[in-house]
Amino acid sequence: MSWSNFIWFALPSIILWLAAGFSAYFKGVGQKLSHLLSIMGIAVFASFIIAFWLHLERPPMRTMGETRLWYSLFLSSVGYLAYRQWRYPWILSFSTVVATVFVVINLLKPEIHSKSLMPALQSGWFVPHVTSYIISYAMLGAATIGSIIMIARRSTDDNHIFNFIDNMIYVGYGFLMLGLLMGALWAKEAWGHYWSWDPKETWAFVTAAAYLGYIHLRAHGGVKYNSVALWLAPIAFALLLFTWLGVSLLPAASGSVHVY
Amino acid sequence: MSRTQKRRVWQSPWGYPEAVAIVGGVLLIGLVLQIAIGSFDFFLLANPVNLLTGLVLFVLSIIIGFSARRSRFARWISGTSMSVTLILSMLVMSIIMGLTPQKGVGMQSDMVLGFDAMTCNWSFVMLYTMTLLSLGAVIFRKFRNLRFKDTPFLLQHFGLWLVLAASGLGYADMERYIMYVSEGETQWRVYGADNEVRELPIAIKLIDFNMEVYSPKLAVVNKETGAVQPESKPEFFQIDEDISRGSIAGVEIEVEEYIHKAVRSADSTYRHVPMPGATPAAKVTAKRDGHSFEGWVCGGNQLQYYMTLPLDETYSVVMTPAEPRKFTSAVEVYAESGTFVEAEIEVNKPLQVDSWKIYQYGYDNAAGSLSSYSSFELVYDAWLPPIYAGVFFMMLGSLHMIVSGRKRIIKKKRDELE
Repeated sequence: MSWSNFIWFALPSIILWLAAGFSAYFKGVGQKLSHLLSIMGIAVFASFIIAFWLHLERPPMRTMGETRLWYSLFLSSVGYLAYRQWRYPWILSFSTVVATVFVVINLLKPEIHSKSLMPALQSGWFVPHVTSYIISYAMLGAATIGSIIMIARRSTDDNHIFNFIDNMIYVGYGFLMLGLLMGALWAKEAWGHYWSWDPKETWAFVTAAAYLGYIHLRAHGGVKYNSVALWLAPIAFALLLFTWLGVSLLPAASGSVHVY
Repeated sequence: MSRTQKRRVWQSPWGYPEAVAIVGGVLLIGLVLQIAIGSFDFFLLANPVNLLTGLVLFVLSIIIGFSARRSRFARWISGTSMSVTLILSMLVMSIIMGLTPQKGVGMQSDMVLGFDAMTCNWSFVMLYTMTLLSLGAVIFRKFRNLRFKDTPFLLQHFGLWLVLAASGLGYADMERYIMYVSEGETQWRVYGADNEVRELPIAIKLIDFNMEVYSPKLAVVNKETGAVQPESKPEFFQIDEDISRGSIAGVEIEVEEYIHKAVRSADSTYRHVPMPGATPAAKVTAKRDGHSFEGWVCGGNQLQYYMTLPLDETYSVVMTPAEPRKFTSAVEVYAESGTFVEAEIEVNKPLQVDSWKIYQYGYDNAAGSLSSYSSFELVYDAWLPPIYAGVFFMMLGSLHMIVSGRKRIIKKKRDELE
């Protein structure tokens, strides 16, 4: 299954996801249907990734396009699981829309290269490092959707949504740190040092610090700082997106070992 | 993590405004020092100064942590307003660092404000130290009234303290050298970051250097300029067993035959010969504007000339140099201590000999698989054990967050309602 077949999996997934995100707003049959459609969409998308992995004979996690592939998969999965747990239709519809955006980017600008995987990337740490990061990105993305909904509603005391945001950020931060720490252990094996303040590492530190700020504000800050925390969540996510997609554009990153 | 009782105490006069003022003041002092005397010299921290500094920070943390019950100041310095202020200041400093191209770690700055060598910037160093102090105090403050459910808190915070303290203080003691060894030769001279030659108590004999490559790519180039076509967005065709046809720069390509280890015959065809000087070669049919061209293409190496398939006077189909899949050095390592190890070193598979770790570093890039030497990086870092311990604690703490993040927060909500 090569990249040229992607569209035949991407389009059905998008249609299923968007239909799920739409039907979630209709109580009863609509919501039952949304579960079925979500699962089908995720299954179709996942089957492409599996077949693509088999074709490449290496994990499809190297290039930007490949990481976006995983992001679409994890975001649609996290969005669906969060929808099951928290019952907000907007979680499902927003996460499917964002997952769709990343699929469309991959259709228009794949940035998928060859089968080759440079020796530094051939490591047992590769898959858990990238997977952990992308799962955390998906969860933190879901948290951002929640925070934007609250900001748009000018609400700082909807404890149910706030609780959802907190949970997504706690668990997402757990994955973020696991990804970072595994990256450090891997760097020691591959490059001789666990932390070199490479631009990607510096920005990963920035992202982690921003979410750490949110967690401390929410854990002890008190109600007074709810609105600060609410604004910090999307700012942290903007920094995350920059870490993931923007760092390679920086002049500071010209010598980065993380730019592929 | 949170108790309502504590939060009430934090509403006393010392809070965010004071934390922002004090941390801002420290950053300002750092800035003045930076302008006045230049970057902080990390190597001042070399053993035993770093050990002593670590000890002082540790003892101060204990004192502040344990006096938090009586002293409002100690509570403030180990409190949330200080933590959040320190975290967000660190955030701002690292954003500046991420936007400014950095010099190598440990190198002196060329800028007045020292932003191009942030890790040696006085403001950064002072902020880092203050973070260690506050974080240490947070940990020992918990000790006043330790409960089993504080374990994840301690793992997260003490793990981070260990990592920050040991990596920051230990940097001055780390040694990293590059050693170049030719095949058959034994070497113990190395180059440091300053390009000075040193002799190490460890010697490496290179028995054999071996490299495997991926299948190369095909491209259409302008023969005169060498530019890959189309010039605005160069296209490549990856040679692949599963896919034999493709199109690049408006030329239809079909790979009829591919030989990974090929040697050219007298009639300019290629045959499979698995010898050191072999190179990938492919028999290609290229179609453009109804015309068809057939022939062998080969990227060549130091022993074999390259071969292209001309399409007209300007354009040719060429093969790109193959990317390395794996490079390995078979070595014998002798240490002054008497240790002798025979091993294969490759990227991601370093070799530990006594207190040195030996990494595959590079080879003669121009010669590729024909390289007659291999280079190694030798690293000595005595501060690794506390760092690994800290990483391990933080990982356990992160796993705890993943598994039970939700439970904790829901419980907290209930506490608030009570």
